[in-house]
Amino acid sequence: MRRPGRWLTSSSSGRRVPRKEVPMSTTVHRKPQAPRYRAPAPIGGRRRPAVGQRRKNLQALSFLLPALLVLGAFTAWPMVSALRLSFTNASGFGKEKWVGFENYARIFTDPVIINAVVNTGLYALLFTPTAVALALVLALLLNDPRLPFRGFFRTALFLPFIISLAVAAIAWAYLIDPQVGLLNYWLSSAGIRIGNVLQDPVLAMPAVAFVAVWKSFGFYMVIFLAGLQEIPGSLYEAARVDGAGAWTRFRHVTMPMLSNTTAFVLIFALIAALQAFDQIYVMTGGGPYGHTETVVMQIYTSGFRKLDVGFASALSYVLLGATLLLSVIQFVFFGRREREGD
Amino acid sequence: MKRSLTILTAVAAASLALTSCSGAGTGASDNTKAELTFWHGYTEADGKVLNKIVEDFNASQSNVTIKVQTNPWSVIDDTLLPALSSGNGPDIVAMPAERLPVYADKGAFVELDDFYKDSNSNLDKLVPAAADMETVNGHKYGVPSGFVPLAMFYNKALFAKAGITTPPATWSEWIAAAKKLTIDENKDGTPEQYGLGLPDHATVANGVWPSLFYGNGGDVVKDGKAVVDSPENAETLKTWVDAVRNDKISPSGLDGIAGDKLFSSGKAAMYLGGPWMSSIAKESNIDYGIAAVPAGPKEQAASAIGISMGITSQKDGAKTAAAQKFFAYFLQKEQATAWSLGSGWPPLRSDIPASAVASNPVVEALTKQSEFGRPLLPGVVNSTDVLTAVDKLTQRAVAGENIKNLLAETQTSVQKVLDTK
Repeated sequence: MRRPGRWLTSSSSGRRVPRKEVPMSTTVHRKPQAPRYRAPAPIGGRRRPAVGQRRKNLQALSFLLPALLVLGAFTAWPMVSALRLSFTNASGFGKEKWVGFENYARIFTDPVIINAVVNTGLYALLFTPTAVALALVLALLLNDPRLPFRGFFRTALFLPFIISLAVAAIAWAYLIDPQVGLLNYWLSSAGIRIGNVLQDPVLAMPAVAFVAVWKSFGFYMVIFLAGLQEIPGSLYEAARVDGAGAWTRFRHVTMPMLSNTTAFVLIFALIAALQAFDQIYVMTGGGPYGHTETVVMQIYTSGFRKLDVGFASALSYVLLGATLLLSVIQFVFFGRREREGD
Repeated sequence: MKRSLTILTAVAAASLALTSCSGAGTGASDNTKAELTFWHGYTEADGKVLNKIVEDFNASQSNVTIKVQTNPWSVIDDTLLPALSSGNGPDIVAMPAERLPVYADKGAFVELDDFYKDSNSNLDKLVPAAADMETVNGHKYGVPSGFVPLAMFYNKALFAKAGITTPPATWSEWIAAAKKLTIDENKDGTPEQYGLGLPDHATVANGVWPSLFYGNGGDVVKDGKAVVDSPENAETLKTWVDAVRNDKISPSGLDGIAGDKLFSSGKAAMYLGGPWMSSIAKESNIDYGIAAVPAGPKEQAASAIGISMGITSQKDGAKTAAAQKFFAYFLQKEQATAWSLGSGWPPLRSDIPASAVASNPVVEALTKQSEFGRPLLPGVVNSTDVLTAVDKLTQRAVAGENIKNLLAETQTSVQKVLDTK
């Protein structure tokens, strides 16, 4: 399973973490990654590999088994059954019929689904660059030793990430509520009216994207910070000696050295964007009239409202495929840039 | 590996059963004793009354025990599918009536045609419109536990201030009163007080706009055909959209929850709602009155909020029989009256007059309006999509889009939904 290259696939979530760029010691808020297991050289040389090796394999397997079982039962098995369901008209109550590719055909012809796909794309365009750029800018600021109270700012900016997105969405929905919202009240006393943002077909999508940016940029920021701290100071010194200004140093030292981190953050943010659901479900329910309806919202509606589990499974698989494809494209793109950069 | 997976799944399922629905599925092997689980969403005072009825039923039975689990309606809707498909679901489940056809069509419920013919079932005493909610594809799949038309709640203090003594009884009176009750003191174009809270999407039990459509002789679906695009509905939309957009009698972009808040904060003088509005208003110290939804030019009618109970089809015959016993018990005159008084919903039996529930003035008032109640989309299997289409229609109309085009568009999409099976 271990693939050559710079990526280590974390087992539980399938999310990728750049091995070198995020060392264990950083404060990245996620499950610690086990260091790569290297079997110690067998005692007495490699004379009898058959018996010793088999025992080691068994031992390794017994250590892995609990995790494998959990993964198998809660990730692999549901994925396999969802794949099977996606070719049926299953409802979850026993009655089901094989329908071949009918569900998949419906995805590409149903205007409601196409609308959701377009919306998801729009959301990704709003969310991904904003979150990544904001995270980068703030990471650069926080990385500057001249900034006072760095620890405080770092914690404060990271704080929203700890809150559940649904809770953040409820709080924001209250803040911008046109009747009882605090934000509206403050703004209106300053003479500004933002109206009913969540019911405005143009503003609703930016609003739900904003909440997601607010909640998640802290996480990307911390990863950028870790990446920035990995860049040797000598490079900047050398650049300074060569007369490079702040912008040139950023453009020709920071950015190239940060490209792995950037790639990781971008892929991560894009995957998060394609799975947009929580705050939309809470704040707009897909409205006003379908303007914030995303693919995952449609999966939920098809599966749990209309009990069309087969179709929902097919849609999940199409989303999985699209996410994979976009990640691979980004991965290849950044990989190529990296090689050219070297 | 495969075996251990099975074991693990079993363990996982068991632990889920422990946390989410204790006791479900246990004791099913014993034929003489049936233990049933009943999911419902009556979370307020009404829940206590219902649970008391269940307890009394259990006491009256020697070999049937019903265990109750209460969760919000939305949670029931979200968890029922996974629970049933993993075999851990309830035996009896209550849900909003327009959700019943969705589940019934997928084979989730036991068909109850024979039970309806049984003279001991008490079902022949039901309010006829309530029984209509339970028919899907020509068969009965549920028993109503609640049926009440939307009613108009009005703020007596604001009425007195505006010098209005009686609640409006017709549309023209209604709109005139709403205009009078809309106050924009600082003249900034946004009234501080609205005459009416008129949600344009996700309305109370999805019934506000259907009620308005009925009032002018229109409808959404009739005999399995889409009838949205009618001159009557166009007129209805024009009347109310004008009142909202030009006369500002209600904020636009309102949904049911925001509407509840608007009325309970005293910012709207009138509101269409269900029985629970009386307790919401009481908690907010609002002196409220209840009147029927004012009569439209053609008809006085209101969409009803309905709750149905079904027997899930995963269970054996003994459990089905036990559940039917409970339904018959629940619909006896004594229990039906107690349930009505305790829940605040009008009696489900047509032979219980308003005077029998006079001890609860809210119930009495609502019972008098029972005759105006019409079930929402009875028997429409894909009610989800139809209601979404209606929501989009009203929301876009209130936002100022062309009503004629919108109606034509909605007609097409609703008909398409009805055609796809």
